[in-house]
Amino acid sequence: MLSSLRSGVQSLWRSSSRALQTSSSLRHDSLFVHRDTPEDNSNTPFEFSPENKQRIDALLAIYPEGHKRGAMIPLLDLAQRQNGGWLPIAAMHKVAEILNLPRMRVYEVATFYTMFIRRPIGKYHVQICTTTPCWLQGSDAVLQAIKDTTGCEVGGNSPCGKFSLSEVECLGACVNAPMMQINDDYYEDLSVEDTKKIIEQLKRDEKPTPGPRSGRYASEPLGGLTSLTEEPKGPGFGLQDALKA
Amino acid sequence: MLRQPLSKALALSPCARLAPVTGRRYAQVQAQPEKVEVFIDDKPVYVLPGTTVLQAAALVGVEIPRFCYHERLAVAGNCRMCLVEVEKSPKPVAACAMPVMKGMRVKTTSDLTRKAREGVMEFLLVNHPLDCPICDQGGECDLQDQSMAFGSDKSRFTDIHFSGKRAVEDKDVGPLIKTVMTRCIHCTRCIRFASEVAGIDDLGTTGRGTDMQVGTYVEKMFLSELSGNVIDLCPVGALTSKPYSFAARPWETRRIDSIDVLDPLGSNIVVATRTNEVLRILPRTNEEINEEWLADKSRFACDGLKRQRLVTPMVADSRGNLTPVEWEDAIVAAAQAIRDCPPEKLVAVAGEMADAEALVSLKDLVNRLGGEHVYTEQSFPLAGAGTDLRSSYLFNTKIANVEESDFVLLIGTNVRFEAPLLNARLRKAFIHKETDVALIGPNVDLTYEYMHVGDSASIVKELASGTSNHEVLKRLQSAKRPVLILGADQLKTPEGAALLAYTQELALKLQGKLEDKEWKVLNVLQRNASQVAALDMGYKPGVTADALKNAKVVYLLGADGGQVTRESLPKDCVVIYQGHHGDRGASIADVVFPGAAYTEKRATFVNAEGRPQQTLVAVTPPGKAREDWKIIRALSEVVGAGLPYDTMDEVRERLADVSPTLVCYGEVQDNNYFAQAQALTQALHCYFAIKRRLISPECIPLLYGALSDEGHPVVVLRAALSDPVSM
Amino acid sequence: MLKVIATTAKTSFSRSLPAFSTCTTRLAGEIDPTCRKEAPKIDSDTVTALPEEAKEKMVYECTICVPTKVDLSPITGVPEEHVKTRRVRIYQPPKNAMQSGTNNIHHWEMEFDNRQRWENPLMGWTSTGDPLSNLKLEFTSPNEAIEHCEKNGWSWYVDVPKIEKEFRPKNYGLNFSWNRRTRVSTK
Repeated sequence: MLSSLRSGVQSLWRSSSRALQTSSSLRHDSLFVHRDTPEDNSNTPFEFSPENKQRIDALLAIYPEGHKRGAMIPLLDLAQRQNGGWLPIAAMHKVAEILNLPRMRVYEVATFYTMFIRRPIGKYHVQICTTTPCWLQGSDAVLQAIKDTTGCEVGGNSPCGKFSLSEVECLGACVNAPMMQINDDYYEDLSVEDTKKIIEQLKRDEKPTPGPRSGRYASEPLGGLTSLTEEPKGPGFGLQDALKA
Repeated sequence: MLRQPLSKALALSPCARLAPVTGRRYAQVQAQPEKVEVFIDDKPVYVLPGTTVLQAAALVGVEIPRFCYHERLAVAGNCRMCLVEVEKSPKPVAACAMPVMKGMRVKTTSDLTRKAREGVMEFLLVNHPLDCPICDQGGECDLQDQSMAFGSDKSRFTDIHFSGKRAVEDKDVGPLIKTVMTRCIHCTRCIRFASEVAGIDDLGTTGRGTDMQVGTYVEKMFLSELSGNVIDLCPVGALTSKPYSFAARPWETRRIDSIDVLDPLGSNIVVATRTNEVLRILPRTNEEINEEWLADKSRFACDGLKRQRLVTPMVADSRGNLTPVEWEDAIVAAAQAIRDCPPEKLVAVAGEMADAEALVSLKDLVNRLGGEHVYTEQSFPLAGAGTDLRSSYLFNTKIANVEESDFVLLIGTNVRFEAPLLNARLRKAFIHKETDVALIGPNVDLTYEYMHVGDSASIVKELASGTSNHEVLKRLQSAKRPVLILGADQLKTPEGAALLAYTQELALKLQGKLEDKEWKVLNVLQRNASQVAALDMGYKPGVTADALKNAKVVYLLGADGGQVTRESLPKDCVVIYQGHHGDRGASIADVVFPGAAYTEKRATFVNAEGRPQQTLVAVTPPGKAREDWKIIRALSEVVGAGLPYDTMDEVRERLADVSPTLVCYGEVQDNNYFAQAQALTQALHCYFAIKRRLISPECIPLLYGALSDEGHPVVVLRAALSDPVSM
Repeated sequence: MLKVIATTAKTSFSRSLPAFSTCTTRLAGEIDPTCRKEAPKIDSDTVTALPEEAKEKMVYECTICVPTKVDLSPITGVPEEHVKTRRVRIYQPPKNAMQSGTNNIHHWEMEFDNRQRWENPLMGWTSTGDPLSNLKLEFTSPNEAIEHCEKNGWSWYVDVPKIEKEFRPKNYGLNFSWNRRTRVSTK
């Protein structure tokens, strides 16, 4: 009662005092300056593994002379994967060295893209979508379930260090909402139980099957196919007789 | 309205008003593409295709507001302040990046343009703090001025009740640049300057969207010898000068145009003063020397002008301690010593900041007394032509023309340290004109790639004789406009004469084959501001130990280089020191005359190119200090050899008598006696045996090569004036 | 005695010598005042000549000399010290390096040689004993400034800055050209 009164007054005050609508701007959850930490400083050694070195050679070969810096994002991605899902500053320096670029040019790219994570994270990076379709389908509950089971806060690591949780915008699986992404895999059509089960499995380092939990294939309709149910017709289907040779 | 003054000025001053930039003479003559006609506010203008709208507008005197665009930096096109309406274009276009099209009609004062500017201004101000009263840029801020001229008259900004303005943490980039990053409007001028001109890729943008910030990402100093220029470039108060912070408002200061004397280039500067104090030094545009940049040493050394100054005449008392006395006593003491001294035992030594007027007075005084021993501190080989031919010791190519060169060979010089703005020119040529650079000497960081030929002086001999099979010889020979730059410090070694001789020979060989007969190949890069004037007047370069050994009176004119020490002088020798700072010279002196520093006198300095320029009085000398030539004039009267000039005009007439080039202010006289110099040297060739000697590393300042974040050289720089030696 | 200015004199040497420069610029552009860098010095012959001699000389040189020079200094009441010992610099104000606007520098200014200033102990304001220290006049052309100085008997010199630079079309595309060194920054 009181709260509704307050919000009513507030909305009245808002509409009378200003014509523009704003929402409070979201501040990014990561820093855009580097802070030396014991795990992440320019003295920590970083070296690409021999396999990744081969991959780097293959990647660099794609880009023409004069445009080798185009390989920066793939290289940073390689480094991030090799380093357990996050990108230490030493790896950026390594990439700068390989591409023969000033370090700042690499920092710029690494800070611009949100998928480069510049702080130590857990083995399993849980990205939960809370954009409208997922939210309507109950992503809040899923998020709470993840928080409960892992002990993570959004933007933080779990106490055990195995999990990290991020709230993200649409990942493009709205048909299968709600969904989350753990490392490279999508887990879709989640219920709270599904989520808990997935997390428990991960805690035991088992690999849960990615994909929809509702049993459907990809993003087919939940109640089975309603169209395109028969076998596709062969070539020449529906052609005039006269044209059939 | 906006454009009237310029068009008026243009109309009033015929094109002959300014001598064309000499560089243009060498500009490649290529078929100019046909010019296209465009209309700026219905004024027709013919421009080359590819010119941007903003440049075309500038040609007819229409100034389009801008933040990110800067003439000497790459086009960024990110501030959008230069939006203008173009007829038949559905949207306003960014004038700084848009090339002109034939028949384009640009409207810079239309409603659409105004509205666009107003909108851009509003967005810029959303996140700009309203801290102008405590901002050092206040009063000379582009954002302030342009929001006055083009901004909206009212604010719609009420976000302050909700999310507030963006706040960004300040960066620590060293002791010279103060950052208040919340004020940053992301024009990226500093980033572009750092990577294009300074060659230090340490600045960049991190993050994205509203969280984007300009900075270094990691804690890092902006280690450039040109770092101070980002203070000028910053259109807002994000980057301001730390030493000058909260010192003064621009409208309180008086600006005096002057010349810098801390490096051999003689950059043009503006000295900002209040009461009787130099507050800061800013660059002044001179296309032939410093464009509009200034090296950090020149910019930040001004606080040395207040420290460790000699403010009163001093005479050593019976215990050898210098005690303050009146001018009369000091002059009488000095005059007595000089009068008692046989002329051949009177030695005068000029230091690195001596002005031409003082130099000529001192030389005249010594000569009137019958002496011949006038020396400079910096040495130069006297074998062969020596300093008789001006072209042997000048930077003949001229600073601006270095840009036109296609191959530059540096011999024993770290240009980045010795003449930072020359290095900036080399870098400009490297980037924009594809000039290649090679270096003989220690491997130093010049901020651009160069071919390292080796560090042996004998390479020059091999190149001169054509026996070298190094690639650099081929490059030199095929170059249309080669340039050789020889560091003057290399010449003080015993083999300096040989190095100079072979460099001259190489230069002459190269020059003979050039199509462009006007092009000069040989350059000697002097190390200080006084050397050229002194050599022009007939000072002998490099004071010799022999001269000092027999000296009875030594007159040091600002000579603090450490060439003259008590050990090198006989016991009973009287040392008279005249200068502005209490340094090595004053510490060994028996009589001290306090002189004026370069901001305190009207004086002539000749730069490395041989271009005389004059400083103007910005403040008066402190205490009892006086202008240098006047001190010598007064002394001459007491000595009994009165000099025949009483006013500055008369001194300058005397200068003109000695060499007319010394008073053609701002002009460089062509010098062409390369062949004669070489012939004279050739006659002595048999004496030269150049060994496989390393270019002496001790003569090359490696400062920038051996930099670490801990030891910013500029910290040291700020005391440069009070102790030039430690530099 | 009339001081005359030979505006159309065949050779400038007979009348005046720009004080010092014997460089080519002076010879090249005698008409252009900015190339005349110093106040003309009236040579002693002209000054000491009797009027008839001067007239004769004029006839000899076949030029018409109009006594146009007006010297106001005896009647302006300016102390002689501030007429004889002052030196005026005529210049174009330089662009402020801190700003990009150039709208306030398209004129010529004159200023006197700088004399001592000090901080007034009462309020901390700047004091000076020089009445001309704040006299900064603006002119549309150097000619006007020179005329003004001569009228007031001040010696002058013109300081011509080298600010004109080669025109080079700017090109946004250069930031991205793959084979040029201009591709140095990402901005």
